[in-house]
Amino acid sequence: MRIKRMLIFIALSLLAIVSLTSVVFSAEALNAYSIWPENWARPMFEEFEKATGVHVNFLRFSSGEALARIIAEKNNPRVDILFGGPVETHIAGIKEGIFEPYKPPSFGVLAPRFKDPEGYWIGIADDPLVFMSNNKFLKEKNLNPPTSWNDLLNSAYKGMIQMADARTSGTAVTRIFSIIEVFGRDENKAFDYMKKLRQNVQVYTKSGGGGTIPVGLGQAGAGIFFIVDALKTKQEGYDVVISFPKEGIGTSVEAIALLKGAKNPALGKKLIDWSVTPAMQNLYAKYKINFLPAHPEVKTEPSLADVLKGAKIFPIDEAWAGQNRKRVVERWINEVLP
Amino acid sequence: MSAPTVELNPSNRLRNLLRDPLLLISLIILWGLLTLFILLPLIGLLMRTFEEGGRFTLSNIINIVGDPNQRQALWNSLLLGCLVGLCGTGLGFLFAYTAVRTNLSKAWNFFLDASIILPLISPPFTTAIAMIFSFGPRGLITYDLLGIKNFTVYGLHSTLFSETITYFPIAYLTLKAIIAGIDPNIEDMAFSLGSSRWRVFRTVTLPLTVPGLANSFLLLFAASLADFATPLILAGNSFPVLPTQAYLQITGLFDIKGGAVLSFVLLVPAFLVFLLQRFWVSRKYYVTISGKVGAKTQIKSVPSWTKYFLLGLCLFISAFILYFYVLLFYASIVQAFGANFQLTWKHYRVVFTEGLKAIRDTLIIAGAGMPLGGIYSVILGYLVCKKVFFSRQAMEIVSMINYALPGTIVGIAYLLFFNEPPILLTGTAIIIIACYVFRYGPTGIRTTVAILQQIDPSIEEASFSLGAGSATTFSRITLPLILPAFFAGLGVVFIRSMTAISATIFLISINWTLITVRILEKMTELELGVAAAFSILVVFIVFIVIMAISLFLRLFRQPGAPEMASILGG
Amino acid sequence: MEAVRIRLESISKTFIHRLKGEVSAVDQVSLHVQPGEFLTLLGPSGCGKTTTLRIVAGFEKPDRGRICIGEEDVTDLMANQRNIGFVFQNYALFPHLSVFENVAYGLRVKGMVKAEIEKSVGEVLTLVGLKGYERQFPHQLSGGEQQRVALARAVVIQPRVLLFDEPLSNLDAKLRVYMRSEIRRLQKALSITAVYVTHDQEEAMAISDHIAVMNEGKIIQIGTAEEVYLRPESPFVAQFIGKINLLPAEVKGMTEEKVMLRIFKKNYQVLKGPHRFEPGERVNVFVRPETIELVKAIDEDSLKASVVERSFLGEKVDYLLELDGHTIYATSYDPLRHGTFSLHQEVGVRFNPDAITILKQVEK
Repeated sequence: MRIKRMLIFIALSLLAIVSLTSVVFSAEALNAYSIWPENWARPMFEEFEKATGVHVNFLRFSSGEALARIIAEKNNPRVDILFGGPVETHIAGIKEGIFEPYKPPSFGVLAPRFKDPEGYWIGIADDPLVFMSNNKFLKEKNLNPPTSWNDLLNSAYKGMIQMADARTSGTAVTRIFSIIEVFGRDENKAFDYMKKLRQNVQVYTKSGGGGTIPVGLGQAGAGIFFIVDALKTKQEGYDVVISFPKEGIGTSVEAIALLKGAKNPALGKKLIDWSVTPAMQNLYAKYKINFLPAHPEVKTEPSLADVLKGAKIFPIDEAWAGQNRKRVVERWINEVLP
Repeated sequence: MSAPTVELNPSNRLRNLLRDPLLLISLIILWGLLTLFILLPLIGLLMRTFEEGGRFTLSNIINIVGDPNQRQALWNSLLLGCLVGLCGTGLGFLFAYTAVRTNLSKAWNFFLDASIILPLISPPFTTAIAMIFSFGPRGLITYDLLGIKNFTVYGLHSTLFSETITYFPIAYLTLKAIIAGIDPNIEDMAFSLGSSRWRVFRTVTLPLTVPGLANSFLLLFAASLADFATPLILAGNSFPVLPTQAYLQITGLFDIKGGAVLSFVLLVPAFLVFLLQRFWVSRKYYVTISGKVGAKTQIKSVPSWTKYFLLGLCLFISAFILYFYVLLFYASIVQAFGANFQLTWKHYRVVFTEGLKAIRDTLIIAGAGMPLGGIYSVILGYLVCKKVFFSRQAMEIVSMINYALPGTIVGIAYLLFFNEPPILLTGTAIIIIACYVFRYGPTGIRTTVAILQQIDPSIEEASFSLGAGSATTFSRITLPLILPAFFAGLGVVFIRSMTAISATIFLISINWTLITVRILEKMTELELGVAAAFSILVVFIVFIVIMAISLFLRLFRQPGAPEMASILGG
Repeated sequence: MEAVRIRLESISKTFIHRLKGEVSAVDQVSLHVQPGEFLTLLGPSGCGKTTTLRIVAGFEKPDRGRICIGEEDVTDLMANQRNIGFVFQNYALFPHLSVFENVAYGLRVKGMVKAEIEKSVGEVLTLVGLKGYERQFPHQLSGGEQQRVALARAVVIQPRVLLFDEPLSNLDAKLRVYMRSEIRRLQKALSITAVYVTHDQEEAMAISDHIAVMNEGKIIQIGTAEEVYLRPESPFVAQFIGKINLLPAEVKGMTEEKVMLRIFKKNYQVLKGPHRFEPGERVNVFVRPETIELVKAIDEDSLKASVVERSFLGEKVDYLLELDGHTIYATSYDPLRHGTFSLHQEVGVRFNPDAITILKQVEK
């Protein structure tokens, strides 16, 4: 009996040791951290593998986490590519010296806002912010969908707005910079507004899209989200409506970057080459991913274009945002959050 | 002859060591492991906390302490911890007293035990998710049932409630053992002196459980202090707590140093709790195994109206807990909870396709960690308890460090320390397994020590006198008697491996990921159905394994060996 | 099997007590146990008897001195190499093993074959009267039965010596009396040298060949039961063994062999023994209670005393008497024949000169 038990344990331990050393790598494989949710990243990577035969192993992180990880792993990068995510993340990363500049063949074709001049990052999509509200809530409160930033200050929204937390989410940072732009870069006025808006906020969510389901369910009445997340909610059948503030709202570039010291730089470059071209960006419509393409030759999907009709959307000055990100976010944490 | 109150001369202790080569080698190996996996990462973390630009400085700490937000977070953490400690201990005491003193039938006992086990074996967030579904602005209970609008589910109250439910089983298990161990003769004596039942309870029973109450308060305080998952969901923005702040500092602001410093601040109360537990609540109740076995006495029951009242209270709470899990299960089989209540298996399909890697990885890690954790805790517990050697007390204390620290600290420390040569472990399973083994091993160590202390030394001497050597004595006499501790160690490491997140969220990699992290991801991506499905799966797996271990234990329990009050407590 | 002797030469052991500092548990103890002898170490708690026993067993290492079992110097041998049988105060049975397995344990360690083990265990269980108990577990047995299993377990391995550490102190009185003679019977039948530790002097006197009285780590006196009882060599031994009356006396005169002592206004001729005396010297003498004769008549042969307390104990009556301002213990046997005295009654006390022992340090 005792011998049998000992054998079982030896077997178990051996199994453990064997598994520890086994690594899941196929013939050609690339490693990436994806800021895009799994349901969007995976189809893209699968298509990439179909097209090039290169398998992509990836882990999904929110933008803040991904950046922190890469910085922590700086001396020994575990992945080759940072895929997707609002570009302000990548800009912040340049300062930390974690990226390797690379200009893919289609670099010249892209509009200036969709690329870093040195090639540290390349844009793969465009993602405007939107207002999204719950129809039942609006009806109950006798409101129209908000079409101004000031609409959200209405006391009817008290405790019923959800939006992202700037400490963790790029959505929030884009939102904050949008507000600053709207107020003509007068930060004091912008922060005044945000402090007022705070009164109506139910909770700041960890991730950018964290509030979409609560708004969809009616747990919250309205929120500010990237269009990808908002439209997904609507497409899933939740009773929501999308609207835009007349003062204008910002849009953020989604980018891809190659890591310095990557173990598979050649494969990483292949992915970059593929992702900045129509090859990948044509797939957005196919997979119902509501990004706007970055490549000029890719047409926006009609229903998506419909939603955006008449909306005043302005690009965020990413360079300025990148320089002031830390300061602005800290100010937000200290003044708006409490 | 009872155990002597004497100590060997220090020179003797050293000589002892040199004379016993097996002991010496074991110690060297153990110290090596402890240094590598406990001391060095922690020192690395401390150095980074006090270092700026290559020089020693206190400025990091001062910045954090000077920041009113962080001070608020610290205060909140302490407040929450105290409240959870109090409420959880109270609730645990209620359950323990009911379970032990009201002579419940087997069925009720089983029901209570089952509802206690569920929170212990669940991955994080389960109570939190259920709370949101139930008490959120459109929650099942607040909105649909009671028609209350404008009820904020976010904040101290929900976090307190959720953490109390999650952690009170620990108090229950601790107190159950204590209450069960009170000699009924003592209470009989009080009766015979004319006291009323209530008076006996107040003046005899309750004071005797004080060490248990203090211990469970400290345990719960520490657990709450370290919990970053529940507040992440429920605390909202007006009630920041330190572990969540540390996590957010790192993941949101990419500020590892800031996160490390915040973790350090958390270290102080955690360390205090550890000291208190070790040097103040060191009284414990002992059941003796001395080779001499006595008869059992009858437990006096409480009057029947009290019994039904207590039972009713417990059942109400148990039902509430079960409701949470039913809710979770329901959420896992509907399309989209709250919007589309069509039944579907699609979430489980996702779990078993996309999530298969995480399941496989988690099971492998848990499976490897189990025997390693069990063996480690038994060996260390045995050495620390039975052998006298130089550095013994130090070894015992060091082994407890990773257990006492909040998970975020350990995770960050490992991430920083093992990502650079010479020891490169990030991205492997070893780092995760090591984290689990050295973090949850102490439960097995403590159980081993407790059991060993119950075993009279004369039993081992008897074995020696009959000609057996150290190895034979250990394997034929000691080991069978401490087998329950070994399995306790196994069980705890397995459960924690399946349900932990706060340390290991920093340690996952491309190659190795964990179910709990997937749950967090799914929650972040708002795929709540899948998150719920994962959670149910974890509960299911852990439940099966624990049942298996219990069964195994019962089958092979040596008659006369110590009763294992629980394998999950502490 | 041939019985062997045990020799302890100047064994010393000190402990460091948390409060008391260095404590001498065993202080230069020398002992010689003859082959086949049953020697008891007797003394109050903390006198060092158990430590000495454990040193013989090998559970403690002496700081100084040597231990020889038979012709072998075992001082540096571990306990499991000395081939001893140890019976513990709390029996120390292995709770997870059956009676059979407990007893067979030492044989298995030796590597004996199954058939032989079964035979030996069967024999020894019969010897202790537990045949048929093989499948029982310790927690199912009574105290006496457990003790017998412990005995069987120690004996079955055919040890060179048997060591007993207060094995009967957890049993009730009647069982104690029964078991002690069982132990003695077994020891004699097997002719194994035995060392026995107890604080119960009646037990010691009943079964031992020799008794070593210990106090504060030293051996005070070794002798047969009669020797230590009737001729104690120190006040300690006198007071420890049985009850005594310690009385003051004055030397009135001397002859070759006897000395005349004045005790309570009467003169007695008492054997001198090895002592030397000066006239007028004051000495202490002791008298055992049962040697005091109590008579109804108070005449010039007897001293006047009154009964302060009495206990009727069946075969004897214990009296506490008040004599000339002193408290005297007296015991009277066979009350049916000798009659009894009641409380506050006046009695006559007669000392037997042969039963008066002079208590003086023996010049060495």
